[in-house]
Amino acid sequence: MMTRYGMLIDTTKCVGCSACRTACQRQNNLLPDEDFIRFERRETGKYPNVKVETVPLQCMHCDDAPCASVCPTGAAHKGADGIVSVDQGRCIGCLYCMSACPYQVRVRNSQTGAVDKCRFCAVQTEKGATTCTCVEACPAHARVFGDLDDPDSELARTIVEKGAKPIAGDLTQAKVYYVR
Amino acid sequence: MTYEPIWGAIIAWYLFLAGLGGGAFVTSTFIRFRHPECHGLMRIGRVVAPVAVCIGLVLLMFDAMAGFQHPLRFALLLTNFGSVMTWGVVFLAAFVVVALIVAVMDFMKRDVPAWLDILGTVMGLCVAAYTGCLLGVCQGFPLWNTALLPILFLVSAVSTGMAIVLLIGAFVKPDEFNRVVVLKKFHFWLPVVELILVAALLFVTSANPSPAGWASVMTLISGNWAVAFWVLFIAVGLVVPTILECWMLWIASHQLETSRTGQMVSAASDAGVLIGGFVLRLMIVSAALPITIVQPWMF
Repeated sequence: MMTRYGMLIDTTKCVGCSACRTACQRQNNLLPDEDFIRFERRETGKYPNVKVETVPLQCMHCDDAPCASVCPTGAAHKGADGIVSVDQGRCIGCLYCMSACPYQVRVRNSQTGAVDKCRFCAVQTEKGATTCTCVEACPAHARVFGDLDDPDSELARTIVEKGAKPIAGDLTQAKVYYVR
Repeated sequence: MTYEPIWGAIIAWYLFLAGLGGGAFVTSTFIRFRHPECHGLMRIGRVVAPVAVCIGLVLLMFDAMAGFQHPLRFALLLTNFGSVMTWGVVFLAAFVVVALIVAVMDFMKRDVPAWLDILGTVMGLCVAAYTGCLLGVCQGFPLWNTALLPILFLVSAVSTGMAIVLLIGAFVKPDEFNRVVVLKKFHFWLPVVELILVAALLFVTSANPSPAGWASVMTLISGNWAVAFWVLFIAVGLVVPTILECWMLWIASHQLETSRTGQMVSAASDAGVLIGGFVLRLMIVSAALPITIVQPWMF
């Protein structure tokens, strides 16, 4: 079976410290105003029983990727390994993919004008790395990276154990799963 | 998190100018077949069409910053025919070529073959409709993701195209302006149809399963865009032109309709249509909220 990379984010563990975001910026050499991870926060309940949930959102590497289907130049595409990426040399910066992405997790590089987003860096840049930088950096161990198709992987086991689901159901067949 | 619209005023101008250019060409063909003696007005349409669309395209290239810095990348625009934008590039390219040939032939006093005018009209309609499809396929925005939007943009495009030709015509060719009664009566109905389409769009969008639909509609009718929506779009862009044209075409005496005063009343109504057309694009681009920002956890 082919490897199908995916990720799990446990929002019940997330403390919203942004360590994943800054680690990602260093790893991918991003500009100060360029973030691949966006945090949404929700408060529920009534004082004094209030619960705050932090939801880190990033590229879901959708199997049915709307960004790739609307990209007029083929810069946004899904590779053979299932990872959605942006060919920086083909992007004209029309931002159509940013409008098409239901998760609003794509960013424009303010220097080149091209669009970028989470690259699943473990696979893309660091040969031999066992996991993505954000996973390594998370002090609460809220993130797991791995192979969705390997039932013995930590990722697949945690998804089953905790009943994790993509943030928007089967909207785009996303490969990032959330424990809520 | 506060949401910043992805596309801004430049794209709204582009959508407006592309529609207006396509509509102006449709108008010139309409005049050719229905009012063939009014060659001055026909020429206005034939000049406005390529000029408006080309200005829009320059704005578009300027806005696509990465392509603006590496112009060769624009050649890649023809690589994904699953993308509405790629189809738009095809329609725009065909339209601009046809419109330029027609304009040059007109100035050289050569007869423009009917098939060329019809081809340009079809391409002009395609350009106008594609601007709505471009936004319509974005499933994250309930205000856009409806089949009503391309129809609304198409009707608005033809309406603004006719308005610009009539507005310029009222000053440059007042005699011909008085003669194109059929064109004016056709044009009269477009803002009326638009009113129905806008009401339908807002009702359908507000009932979207995502709260973003309701939030977008509220932003338009009672939020940040309320003044632009009610005053500039509904009143100035649709209702006032409908009332003024109704007065001129069916109530006013022939003498008043063809007087300088009557022409200025019609010109004011056409200017209103143009303002409304631009404000419509600007509001649709800016007021649309994405489903994941309003409530990312509601799925």
